[in-house]
Amino acid sequence: MDELELLKSKWQEGNQELPKLSYNDIYKMRHNKSASIVKWIFIISVCELVFWIVLGFLSPESNKELLVQIGLQNTLTILYAINYAIIAVFLILFYLNYKNIKTTDTVKTLMHSIIKTRKTVSYFVIYNVVSFVLSLLYVNLYFFSKKSELFGILIKDKDAYKGVSIETFTSVFFITQFIIGILLIGFILLFYRIVYGILLRKLKHNYGELEKIEM
Amino acid sequence: MNKELEHNFVTQLEQNQNIVHKICRLYTNDSDGHNDLFQEITIQLWRAYPKFRGDSKFSTWMYRVALNTAITLYRKSKRRVATQDFEGVSFKIKADEYDDTIEEQLSLMYDAVKTLNDIDKALVFLYLEDKNYKEISSTLGISEVNARVKMNRIKGKLRKILNP
Repeated sequence: MDELELLKSKWQEGNQELPKLSYNDIYKMRHNKSASIVKWIFIISVCELVFWIVLGFLSPESNKELLVQIGLQNTLTILYAINYAIIAVFLILFYLNYKNIKTTDTVKTLMHSIIKTRKTVSYFVIYNVVSFVLSLLYVNLYFFSKKSELFGILIKDKDAYKGVSIETFTSVFFITQFIIGILLIGFILLFYRIVYGILLRKLKHNYGELEKIEM
Repeated sequence: MNKELEHNFVTQLEQNQNIVHKICRLYTNDSDGHNDLFQEITIQLWRAYPKFRGDSKFSTWMYRVALNTAITLYRKSKRRVATQDFEGVSFKIKADEYDDTIEEQLSLMYDAVKTLNDIDKALVFLYLEDKNYKEISSTLGISEVNARVKMNRIKGKLRKILNP
């Protein structure tokens, strides 16, 4: 490989034409903001955590009343408590992973830590989607078993809904719940594919290259 | 204290900036990309600097952080259209030993290295910097034997690119 050795010898002589930055240029640069992939993953992950936590609090008052009247309040309170405990565990894991990302590690270890951080957050999202689906199913099955009470609470004796029969109400109510559920999950999954697909493409490719060397 | 730390850091980076420039040259295709990557490496080096104990050479420590940034952390800004405003790389060759063919060979070889993937580039870069396989393997996180095998394969790859 004569050409590579030739390049190496010229490289060693240090006569490659390179830019030269002054002390002040470098001084200024170090005060600039990072735009690294880790920073992006961190920002997006924090947004995700906040999104799911806020979503839990955003239950309208009328909804709460309905849950009390139909007898679901106690079960849901227990489920909420479990949910927040799990969220807390995820927050701790996320923080520990994030702290473990060090640029002074080997290239492979660094990539591994980033992927691990990313995985923790995606488990968090999977957990949220699954628990969202399960609780939606549970609540709706419960509602379905008590559809006449539900009809009584929501529709009966309300002027605006005069003339709506229990059959019409039942089909409209459950189809709407179903469609909203599907749309929300579809949106979340799409968001994931796009955001992390773009962000992690290069990293995954390079990690794959390193793994191949070890095979 | 912090001011002193900062001053030491900037001085050391200023003295060793060629290492970072060489990496930027290898991993980006235009001067905007070069400057962006240089800046990101500077930020990452500064972040890691308080943990730098000085038990290894500043330059050795720098290889790791800089390569990690180029390979893993750096995200090319999408605002820019990828152009190639570097006319290959130019080496200063003394007038008395000036030779067209050497210059040509050098730039062909350099262009061939630039077509490699990010990991292979890192290996070649460390090889050109005259690092031994122990250092190469500990920077990348692969075994020494595998680093050696891989380097031989890359040489084969480069040969093929140069003599298709």
